[in-house]
Amino acid sequence: MSKYSEELSYGFAGQVAPPVRETRIGVCSAYCGECGQLVADVQSGCAQLQSRKFAQSGGCQLMLAVGIVSSLTNVVIIVHSPLGCCSGFTGTGGTRKTTRSSRGKASEDFVWIHTNLDEQDVVQGGVDKLRDAVLYAEKEYHPDAIIIANGCVPGIIGDDIDSLVSELDSRLSAKIVPVHCEGFKSRYVASGYDSAYHGVLRHLVDPVVKERSAIAEENEQRDALEQYQISRTVNIFNVGSNSNGDEVELSRIVASLGLIPRVLPLNATLDDLSHIGEAALNVSICATHDDYLLGHLHERFGTPYIIDTLPIGIKSTNRWLREIAKYFHLEEEAERVIKLENDVLNMALAPYREFLRGKKVYVGGGETRILTTAAFFKDDLGMELVGVKAHNVDRFVEEIVEELHEPQLHITVAAGQPAEELAVIRQLKPDLYVGHMGANGWVTRLGVPNIPLFGMSFNFMGYSGAFELARKSAKALKNTNFIKNVSQNVALPLSKEWFERDVRLNIKETEQI
Amino acid sequence: MSTFIERPKSSCALGGALTTLAGLNRVVPIVHAAGGCAAGLSGVYSTAAGYSGTGYCGGNMMPTTNIAENNVVFGGEDRLAEQIENTLFAMDGDLYVVVTGCQVEIIGDDAKAIARQYADKNVIGVSTPGFLGNTLRGYDAVVSALAEFVIAPQEKKDPKTVNILGVVPGHDVFYRGNLEEIKRLLWLIGVRANTFFSVTDTVEDIRGYGDAALSVVLAPNVGILPAEKIQDVHGTPYILSEIPVGPSGTAAFLRQVGAAVGADPKRIEEVIAFESGYYYSYLNGLVDTYSDLDFGRYAIISADGYYAHALTRFIANDFGWVPHLTTINDITEEADQARYKKLFDDITSETKPVVVFEQQAGQIIKHVRSSWALNHNEKYYDALAPAYVIGSGIDAGLAEKLGANFLAVPFPVSNRVVLNKGIAGFRGGLTLIEDLITQLVSAR
Repeated sequence: MSKYSEELSYGFAGQVAPPVRETRIGVCSAYCGECGQLVADVQSGCAQLQSRKFAQSGGCQLMLAVGIVSSLTNVVIIVHSPLGCCSGFTGTGGTRKTTRSSRGKASEDFVWIHTNLDEQDVVQGGVDKLRDAVLYAEKEYHPDAIIIANGCVPGIIGDDIDSLVSELDSRLSAKIVPVHCEGFKSRYVASGYDSAYHGVLRHLVDPVVKERSAIAEENEQRDALEQYQISRTVNIFNVGSNSNGDEVELSRIVASLGLIPRVLPLNATLDDLSHIGEAALNVSICATHDDYLLGHLHERFGTPYIIDTLPIGIKSTNRWLREIAKYFHLEEEAERVIKLENDVLNMALAPYREFLRGKKVYVGGGETRILTTAAFFKDDLGMELVGVKAHNVDRFVEEIVEELHEPQLHITVAAGQPAEELAVIRQLKPDLYVGHMGANGWVTRLGVPNIPLFGMSFNFMGYSGAFELARKSAKALKNTNFIKNVSQNVALPLSKEWFERDVRLNIKETEQI
Repeated sequence: MSTFIERPKSSCALGGALTTLAGLNRVVPIVHAAGGCAAGLSGVYSTAAGYSGTGYCGGNMMPTTNIAENNVVFGGEDRLAEQIENTLFAMDGDLYVVVTGCQVEIIGDDAKAIARQYADKNVIGVSTPGFLGNTLRGYDAVVSALAEFVIAPQEKKDPKTVNILGVVPGHDVFYRGNLEEIKRLLWLIGVRANTFFSVTDTVEDIRGYGDAALSVVLAPNVGILPAEKIQDVHGTPYILSEIPVGPSGTAAFLRQVGAAVGADPKRIEEVIAFESGYYYSYLNGLVDTYSDLDFGRYAIISADGYYAHALTRFIANDFGWVPHLTTINDITEEADQARYKKLFDDITSETKPVVVFEQQAGQIIKHVRSSWALNHNEKYYDALAPAYVIGSGIDAGLAEKLGANFLAVPFPVSNRVVLNKGIAGFRGGLTLIEDLITQLVSAR
């Protein structure tokens, strides 16, 4: 369980859409200051009331929601919107093959359909087009599920997609799943994860009805075996930013305690999802992704859960493992595993520690990942932390911030907002920047060597991930000419005056939402 | 009325506006929309246009009003004014263009009126909600606005200067390479081309485009609206042409434009002869291997109206492959389809291609199968092989199912990197052949 979710409620299964995170959890999305003060301001509630005067583009909850559900096996995604929403699939749709093949799953064409809403639909409504699209998907592809992502336009004009779902549900062999993820409804884009899981939980998680044998003893035997299996099964909840390498490593760590790891829900089949309740423990690797999902599963199946830290770096991975072991009373076994793993890893890290010690590092991206990654650089590699930037900050990272023991550390809270970030980085002058997709290119143009915070093919989690992260950090500093040449020859679009002004002046008290 | 589209090879009008702005040097978009639209749509072209990247001020660098539910209820005009003022302070640009998303247009914000208040600071406003249509509509809206608000009116026209329209940055993955080659060829026949989007074009250059005597539209379904706007505002007439790919297309293009502006016919023929000689000198290098290994292929071309005929003509008339099937995804009106189909009358190969208009990516394979006798387990079956699919990245699966070779040319292209290469002109034809045949020898 998590002490941060104790006050939260997860009983929204009866609603067509979950509440957005602004109201469900409370969130800070604009801040510039020090870590210690931020925690105090989040606790008092005033950090949540800030926004910015000059804003730049960030994410959209629709893209995050679709990112989750589109990973499921044998589904068709219908984006109910004008053509632009999720048109990024034109560039990324092909990566489904590598995502699946890296996990040993059968190759699938990724099929998505756009309802292509136009001016006429804005006036007359787009439900008929959506119906046509659903029937086309069923007839042409016979998917296990047809998942509808609802965009801003139908959200504002009031298309009743839920009625359409009820109308078609029993008539098709595919299950139909509405996902309410209109972008304008939440500035905390992680609301999209809740929207996605809400749809999945309401429409795709149907517990399996077991066949009973006519011979009573057979049933008993089977039940006993099954109960034994369930009592040792740990669901590890994967996220869009982890690789197969991460999943293999975390599974290995869980299995080292003699437990049975199962990785869910991304890339799962509908059959996998129907067994999601059959586990002794649900374990998160990132609260930002799945507190809604785990909270719901607890209410529905009674499965206890752990939302604690993201297993990146030695300290966080040890902590993650200890939390799991504690639940199963396997503390001694865990300490043996930790000693063995840490000894070998520390030896392997020695040359990197030598090379990276004292170098300045700045980390930007999702709150849980940046803080645990920063802790690794500081505590395990001896680097100097000069600042962090979080997309958002909510209650789930309070303890991780405190455990960094860097109350004076510079922190900005901003989803995207590279103008602020570059101004901060130019002052802090890190030797290495580690950042979220979309930020690194600007940092290159600014002239700071950098590596991505995550990647579909990088293993950054667990013990093997710690080694990879160290290796990649060192590699980035072995030849910095790409960065030097680009920064000397390519201009940034930001003004001199912007760079000279205090970034804090861009933060303002927000209008009420 | 439009229909749903399976795997559309396009973004929306706002996406089209943003990729068009990304093609202009030192131009800063200000996006009045929900927070994710700008970066999401910019990301489409950053990856799916041969990794062309964000441009000067794209991706999450784009200023955006980031409107949310409260703005949808109470309006977002004040927020837009605040964002414009702060953008003028923070961003360094030669032109600032306010563009709009679906949300603010539905609630009735007058973004153009707000932008007009900052007209003296190089701010213009364009209405570009996604529901206007596909990428092409965004290009039309932005270039029409440039014609209206940026290009300075000029009484005196230069009879040998032309505007090039219809080449959509990013949606034509090769737009910059193409524009450079078009500019070079026109220069050779004594014609100066206003290209808007080449790496060297500046906002200052665009202000001077009022001297063009003619606009040349290189696409059947985009660029015509701005051409009409330029005609209205600047009195410059336009002609419809086509993106020239390879020798026969480029020769026809040079003759058409040359005649329209009164260029010296003798010089045009000299240029065509010289460039053609250059093309065949290089092609000659491939002749031995082509002939020894039989590099002839059945061609299946899946493209937009911009590239479908241009590629088919190059493949059939110049390169001499068998044009089996050409599908076009973005021409939907029957009258437009009939007009477009007529273009294929100029295909000179003994076998003429089947031409089909199909929006749904998943249906193309059915057109392939219905256009070729099925194998009923005959002992001797004339298969559609060896085949080559020239399509967008989305058609890679089609090629896989057909056991055909594949090269991505029309948007989206995400399986190869395109920097300065183009496929227009004589030299572009050579580049295209290099890429096509590289696929056949890459396993060696």
